[in-house]
Amino acid sequence: MSWEPEANEIAARRRFSEALGGEESVARHHGAGRLTVRERIAALTDAGSFREVGRLTGAATYVDGVLRSVVPAPYVMGLAQIDGRPVAIGGEDFTVRGGTSWGSDRRKGGQGGFVEDLAHEYRIPLVNLIDGSGGSVSSARRRGHTVFPGIHGFEQSAALLGEVPVVCAVTGTAAGGPAGRAILSHWSVMVKDTSQVFAAGPPVVQRSLGQTIAKEDLGGSAVAVDAAGTIDNVAASEADCFQMIRRFLSYMPQNVWELPPSAPCEDPVDRCADELLSIVPRDRRKPYDMRRLMRLVADQGSLFEIQPSFGKAVITAFGRMNGKVVGFIANNPMIYGGAMDVKAARKQTHFVELCDTFHIPIVFLVDVPGFMVGLQAEQAATLREGMRAVYVSLQATVPMLTVVIRKCYGMAGMATCDKNGLDFKIAWPSAEWGSLPIEGGVAAAYRREIAAAPDPKAREQEIEAELRALASPFRTAEAFAVEEIIDPRETRPYLCAFLDAAQGRLAIDRGPKARYGVRP
Amino acid sequence: MANIEARSEVNGSVWKLLVEPGAAVEAGDTLMLIESMKMEIPVIVEDGGRVVAILVKEGDAVAEGQVVAELEG
Repeated sequence: MSWEPEANEIAARRRFSEALGGEESVARHHGAGRLTVRERIAALTDAGSFREVGRLTGAATYVDGVLRSVVPAPYVMGLAQIDGRPVAIGGEDFTVRGGTSWGSDRRKGGQGGFVEDLAHEYRIPLVNLIDGSGGSVSSARRRGHTVFPGIHGFEQSAALLGEVPVVCAVTGTAAGGPAGRAILSHWSVMVKDTSQVFAAGPPVVQRSLGQTIAKEDLGGSAVAVDAAGTIDNVAASEADCFQMIRRFLSYMPQNVWELPPSAPCEDPVDRCADELLSIVPRDRRKPYDMRRLMRLVADQGSLFEIQPSFGKAVITAFGRMNGKVVGFIANNPMIYGGAMDVKAARKQTHFVELCDTFHIPIVFLVDVPGFMVGLQAEQAATLREGMRAVYVSLQATVPMLTVVIRKCYGMAGMATCDKNGLDFKIAWPSAEWGSLPIEGGVAAAYRREIAAAPDPKAREQEIEAELRALASPFRTAEAFAVEEIIDPRETRPYLCAFLDAAQGRLAIDRGPKARYGVRP
Repeated sequence: MANIEARSEVNGSVWKLLVEPGAAVEAGDTLMLIESMKMEIPVIVEDGGRVVAILVKEGDAVAEGQVVAELEG
C-alpha cells in the first residue's frame, strides 16, 4: 500500500489554499486594480523558485468527519529567490477577511511569525508584501478577553534591522500593525493610487477628530511618501514596485556578515567626462543639476535614488563605482541652495545608517551652505535633526570620501566628513568652505570697524573682497587642510581607486554594528 | 489641451521672469528665476507647451509649492 490517497489529499488541500478567499473575493480585489498575494510573489521572485510554507494552514470545515473546505490563513509565505539569491517572502492575503490577523498556534508572518524567523535563522533578506489592516476588535468576542498591544509583537522585526535587509512594500491599504510593520524596514515602497498607509484610517479619524477625509487624501503617496517620508519610494504600478524591490536588493548583501555584491563594470574606470569641467557655473548664485553630475561620475546606469521626492535638498542614491556598491549623498543646489532642512537631515541620517549597517562606503558630493535658516526651520527643529545627522556620521565606521563640489559650510558641512576615519576631503577648484559663508559673516564679525568707516557699505565690501581672496581652495591645500584638489574630470578614476582599495577594510569590518550612546 | 501648473520648489521671491504669456516652451526650459538662500533657483518646465499665464511679477514673494505659471500642453 502506498501513501497515494494522502498524496492526493495534499493536492486537494493545496487547491483550497490556491483558491485564496474564493472567486468572488479575488474578482473584487482584481477590480480594485490589485494583484493577489500569490500573483505578487510570482511576479517578484525568480520563476519557479517559490517554496511555500504553511500551505495547508486554515480554518477547515468537516461534515461527518469528512473535509469539505478550508478557508486558507490570510497570509502566504515561504522561501524564494530573487536574482538567484534566497529571500524569505510573505504577504497578507486581502481576499481572506481583508488580511486581518488570525488565531493560530504559530503565526506565519506579518509581525514576527515563521517568515521572520526564517530570515533571522538563515540570515537572508526579508520581503514583506503588506496588504492588511491588522487587528480587529472582533477578536475579543472569539477569545473572550482583550489582549495587550503587541501580543504579536515587533521583537523579531526590530532585531532583523541589524541582521538582514528588510524590504516592505505597501500594496494595499495598511493601517495599524501592518502600517507599523512597513516602517520597520531598511527600505519601503508603496504603489501610487492603489495603496495607502496610516496609523488609523478614515473611520477612526472621523470618530476621533470629526474630520471627514478620503483614504487616498489621508495616506496616499502624496502624504506618506512626498510630504512625510513615512514610506521611502513610490512605484507607478505593482509591476514597477517589484522591479524596484529587485533593484534595491541588488545593492544589498544577504546579511551584515557579508559584503554587498560586486557587479561586472562595463563603464571604463578612467572615463573622464569633459562636461564635469563646466557643470558648476562660475557665478555662485547659479545652481546646477547635481543628478547629472552624479550620473557623469558613477558607473553608467547604476544609480538608484532612495526617497527622491522627500527632503529634496539632499539626494541619496545607491550606485556603483567600478562595479562596487557605493552610497552617494549629494546636496541639491536647486532646493534652497542645498541648505539642510529638517527633512533632508532625517533622510541623510537614515541613509548613513543604512550604508554603515551593510558595509557600503559613502561618497559625499558636497554643496551645502549650512543648515536651513529662518523661523519655520527653527520651529521644525532643524538644529536638532541636523545635529543628529552630524552625530550619526560620526558614529558610522564605514569609509567615507568627501568631495567638495562647491560650498561646504557650518555644521551641515561637518556632517559630510569622516572625522573619525581617514577624514579625506577632496575638492574641486570651485570649492569654498568655512564656518559660515563670507556674505553672512562679515557684517557680524566686523560690525564696529564697518560702523566706524566713513563709508560703511564700501568698507564691508572691501573686507568681503579681502576675505574672499583668502578663501581660495588652493591656499587651504597648501596648508594640507584639504587633502587634495582634483580636476573635476578626474573625479571618477580618483574615487574608484580609493573605493577599490577600501574593499579589504570593508571585509574586515563585516558583522553587526553596535551603536552606543543617545542620539541627540 | 491639458493645463499644466508650474510650481516653485522653494520659498523665496521672484527675481526674473524669462518668458511671457503666449511663449512656446520645451521641457527643460526655465520660466523664471526665484531668489532663495542667495541663489537663483530656476522654475523649470517639465513638459513642453505654451505659456497661458504668468501668475507672479518680479519682486513677489512665493511659497514652496505655489503655482507661478500656467501652461497648456
